[in-house]
Amino acid sequence: MMVNYTVGQQAYLKTFFHAAKHPHLQVNGVLLGKKVSGTVEIIDAVPLLHHWTSLSPMMEIGLDLAGRHAESLELQLVGYYQACERLDDTALAPVGEKIASKVKEGFSDAVAFVIDGEKIGSPDNAALIPYLAQSPSSSWRPYTDAGAVTPFSPGSSFSLSSPDSPAHAVSLVRDQQLHRKFGDFDDHLEDVTIDWLGNKAAMPSDVHQ
Amino acid sequence: MSASLPSALQTLANYRIHNTRASHEVVEKGKVLLNSNGTSRLGDDAWAFLEQLALAAIDVANYEIADECLRRLATKFPESPRVDVLSGIRMEATQPPEVALKFYNELLQTDSSNAAIYKRRISVLLRMGKIERAVTELSEYLDTFYSDVEGWVELAELYSSCNQYTSATQALSHALLLAPQNPFYVLQFAETAYTADDVPLAMKMFMLALDIMDRNVSEESIPTGVSVRAWYGVKLCCRALTERTCSSASDTPLPQNLDLLDELSTERVLTAYSVVGKDFDSSRELVLSWMGPSDRTGGRPRFIH
Repeated sequence: MMVNYTVGQQAYLKTFFHAAKHPHLQVNGVLLGKKVSGTVEIIDAVPLLHHWTSLSPMMEIGLDLAGRHAESLELQLVGYYQACERLDDTALAPVGEKIASKVKEGFSDAVAFVIDGEKIGSPDNAALIPYLAQSPSSSWRPYTDAGAVTPFSPGSSFSLSSPDSPAHAVSLVRDQQLHRKFGDFDDHLEDVTIDWLGNKAAMPSDVHQ
Repeated sequence: MSASLPSALQTLANYRIHNTRASHEVVEKGKVLLNSNGTSRLGDDAWAFLEQLALAAIDVANYEIADECLRRLATKFPESPRVDVLSGIRMEATQPPEVALKFYNELLQTDSSNAAIYKRRISVLLRMGKIERAVTELSEYLDTFYSDVEGWVELAELYSSCNQYTSATQALSHALLLAPQNPFYVLQFAETAYTADDVPLAMKMFMLALDIMDRNVSEESIPTGVSVRAWYGVKLCCRALTERTCSSASDTPLPQNLDLLDELSTERVLTAYSVVGKDFDSSRELVLSWMGPSDRTGGRPRFIH
């Protein structure tokens, strides 16, 4: 039976901010959450890289640290996200498959999201393309619901816990430039005072998970 | 306006020197200058400024400003190869890629020595998703324009994005021949070698990067910036070398005193975190727990100063 996935507002905002901060680069990160009664609740996101995204050493370290951080919050790593360099590219990069498979070893319902570069920024579109795999060693494919329901539209196994998350994200970037206060592991490696795990400074005071 | 003009000009000049891509800011500051005819105060810098503003404007899709800058540049420098490149970039922004490619091909037929046009063509191919063709053309370009360090680095990144990590290290080795003192290229080589599963080579290059960076710095200082990244890399390599058998495609020997390197890299990274205040205790704790015991017996890590 198909598992349901919900993306919480904090996770959505962080994914969005990461992509918005580096519009001409590939960015990636992991998703934190837990499974509750058959639904995977994606609660938070931890951004990893925007630089040398095909290279593995810092990715491995970041992944390890993010996993420990998840444990400290009593959550698990439940997925991976990436934004591609080109707007029209919606493929999961080879490095993305590797990380997603690694996450799947620890959480069998792991999901990978590729940000839809053409749709992101429109207030009524989640612009997240889900990828799922049968097992950690099989390939990842874009998911389509039965009956060809678009992910994140009514009736889909994928939903946003707050339907206004995309609109909220757009206005926070456009009007408050909150994404400029956002930092990932790459940023943290240059300046260890950057809070890449929590990114509290970039979150609006009214964010709910 | 006059109070902030010198500082705006300074910022823009800094961005030009460091090739910073802060397009929104450049357009915000630059359009004021453009409209108020402030460019006359820039003297010879006016043209570099107009080029910078044109590029930034294209980046944020403000084509009105871009076209105005281009118009002024084309008037001052008719038939300039540099202005041709800018016209091509402007074309890429709103025309189909084939139109830009045709424009570039025509330019190259007239002047086959314009390196920038070859690179624009490769950029367009990348944007069209034609990675293989872009890699072929970039390799051919580098056969002719061998000393283009950035070209070699770009080639390495393209190879890495296609999982061809050994080819990437080969490309980077050319970059290192041309710029042996650049720690960023050495670091990129180290990380690429690690990804290619040549851990001894990665270790050697992480140490070389640190050697280059720390040459002018006293041993007791707190690691910052790229050094932190390199020390993390050394620690990761130590862990890999002790936890599993690592082969080296490049036949790089294992480092001696692996346990000392392990202790040293642990201490260096943790010292970097000593600058964080109380607010970041949890972040430091997390790194500490990741470090694990750094001597063989599994006891508490010893920090040697």
